[in-house]
Amino acid sequence: MTEQAPIFILLFPFLTAVIVALVGLRHKSLSWPLTLVSLGASVCASLSTLAQVVEHGPIRYKLGGWSPPFGIEFHIDGLSALVAVTVSVVALLTAIYSKDNVDAETPDKSSQYYSLFLLLVSGLLGIVITGDAFNLYVMLEVAALTSYALIAMGNKRASLAAFKYLIMGTIGASFYLLGVGYLYIKTGSLNMLDIREILETAGLFNSPTILVAFILITVGVWIKMAFFPLHSWLPNCYAFAPTTSSNIMAPLVTKVMIYVMVRMVLTVFGPNYAFEILDWENIVVWLAVIAILAGSIGALAQKDLRKMLTFLIIAEVGYMVGGLWLADETGITGTIFHIISDAFMTLCVFLFAGIVFAKTGARDIYALEGMFKKMPLTMVGFLVGAFSLIGIPPTAGFFSKWYLVQGGINSGNWEYVVALLISSLINAVLFFRLIEIAYFGKKPAEGHDHHHGDDHAKVSEASFTMLLPLLSTAAILIVIGLYNKELVSVIQDFLSQFNLATSIR
Amino acid sequence: MKILGIITVIITGFLLLQAERDFPDWGDAASPASDNRLSQHYITETINETRVSNMVTAVLADYRGYDTMFETVVIFTAGIAIIGILRVYGPSTKLEHPEPTLDTEKPDLIIETTCRLLIPIIQLFALYVIAHGHYSPGGGFQGGVIFGAAFILLALARDLQTAQKWVPENRVLNLAAIGIFIYAGHGVLSLIFGENFLDYSILTKVLPGDAIDARYHSMLGVEIGVAFTVTAIMFSIYSNLASNGKMEEGI
Repeated sequence: MTEQAPIFILLFPFLTAVIVALVGLRHKSLSWPLTLVSLGASVCASLSTLAQVVEHGPIRYKLGGWSPPFGIEFHIDGLSALVAVTVSVVALLTAIYSKDNVDAETPDKSSQYYSLFLLLVSGLLGIVITGDAFNLYVMLEVAALTSYALIAMGNKRASLAAFKYLIMGTIGASFYLLGVGYLYIKTGSLNMLDIREILETAGLFNSPTILVAFILITVGVWIKMAFFPLHSWLPNCYAFAPTTSSNIMAPLVTKVMIYVMVRMVLTVFGPNYAFEILDWENIVVWLAVIAILAGSIGALAQKDLRKMLTFLIIAEVGYMVGGLWLADETGITGTIFHIISDAFMTLCVFLFAGIVFAKTGARDIYALEGMFKKMPLTMVGFLVGAFSLIGIPPTAGFFSKWYLVQGGINSGNWEYVVALLISSLINAVLFFRLIEIAYFGKKPAEGHDHHHGDDHAKVSEASFTMLLPLLSTAAILIVIGLYNKELVSVIQDFLSQFNLATSIR
Repeated sequence: MKILGIITVIITGFLLLQAERDFPDWGDAASPASDNRLSQHYITETINETRVSNMVTAVLADYRGYDTMFETVVIFTAGIAIIGILRVYGPSTKLEHPEPTLDTEKPDLIIETTCRLLIPIIQLFALYVIAHGHYSPGGGFQGGVIFGAAFILLALARDLQTAQKWVPENRVLNLAAIGIFIYAGHGVLSLIFGENFLDYSILTKVLPGDAIDARYHSMLGVEIGVAFTVTAIMFSIYSNLASNGKMEEGI
């Protein structure tokens, strides 16, 4: 049965989405348990796939029994297996957390909400495991449509933000599709590995059509991942969406798009084309530097907790785009590592923001006053997430940033190294400001909560279903940090096939 | 902002023109997309491998059936998304108006008679298009849209309530989900029999004929699944949009 594991990663959430839409009409209370079970199964399937990949190398799963390029295949190597595990685990944690939020924020519609939630997860998983450039677009469409809806189900401002996202996202997806179309015109194939082979054997690398295809795909994906200056849709979307929607989308959607960029650059076009023939690394790294600084400074200006975090996402996207275009093996290792650690640390702080919002009903950062007394455990979870975003060992964020900085030094892109360090400092300022408010806040949170003021026995923690995912995410961050060597060896196994530069150019 | 937009459009246009420089000639039989093993394989082998004479259907429903399954899911998602965003549950305004104003007016004779004649024909034609997907142009998406249009015509000619009698809201969702289950069911069944997902050839165990016939019949099966979903979601989107999500009075 293990050879069928790849399809089960996707099949469980996908079929359950349809079941939830059906069953939820009559039994709304069943939606949440069904979601949990399906995502749990998906986590098991993705872990089993990862184990197989680590042991036996890449898996090629032929859908419909047709061998590629005639049919569609899943092509799962170390990169996709790692990201698939990340996506399914984040989805499971968010689903556990969603129990109280969904009924409160979208009453009457929880079954549709969970159905869309599961479809989003299956779309993202589909993007990650597919080995076919057009199939990736189809899954992109599933993921995009569901995320528009999941955002628009929030309040009025969310609907407007979702409309902006709809326009931007559609442009991004069309660019991607047009790029794939141009690739098909020149190569006559849609399978990623097959395209790569034809590009090399037919010597198509100096064709302007391929160049335009590369630009269209890259820019399309940049729009979707909110790379500065194409980021304007993101802050309002994630800040005003329902809590669960932003909890699932903030960690996953941008990260999966970065996965798509890595996959396109490395597997489809090949590092030789992207880094040697085009030789644009420096321009893109400078763009990334601007993105990092813009995101960090934007975050400093925010008083709204969740909005501040959304600007951090923009900065993190800059880290990863820059890390890939350093064109250095250590830098790319850092990028892939950062996809994983950033997914978990973004999840961690967004879960925390959700708890704060649920407990106090306030959005601004001063709602944190007195949190250390009221919710010590929640604050522990938050601290781990914040330390990881700043980059304090032994959390995951430290190690991924370490590889990124190393890559920057190896390739001689000092501007990137400096930007990364400045951004980490700004993160430190941001989070220590929050910690200060939470610890030394002047008035002990009167009017927020009637349990306050007595003693530690009367701490008012968030409910179990909210606390458990937060603390597990914090634990995962530390575990990734401690076992970073194993993770890096999987990534480097994946990268070893590309003959990337490892030293100073 | 406007100038920025114009600059973006000009750059994009310039890029697209650049790409065109290296295109194969229009209708060039030797272009990579038409003269390589992929297209040649589809053109020459489809009939042997699947017994389907319309090779577009074969590519759509078999070779790339996984894509098509998720295209169907996209439509399902759109339907659920529109219900999620627009649908307003709550106290029905009917209690205030015990008799809907629309029903008091007698339907127009000409419209009434035309619809009576047209709707059965439209539905029959839809079934024809669905069933003939693998001989001629057609298939689940097209047939489903036509079938959905029959219900929309009914809703337009009479009112939403009349159409809802035939396809109430819950039944619409059930139909849409059944469509997906039919499609994915073919895949799951192949998994159960020990082959890869959507490998129809193994379905010969439950379908008449040999392995190639099983592919042929399964393609009809999945087309029917697609048709279910498309029909239901077409009507669902119409009724939500037309009634502002209240499902009471349409336009």
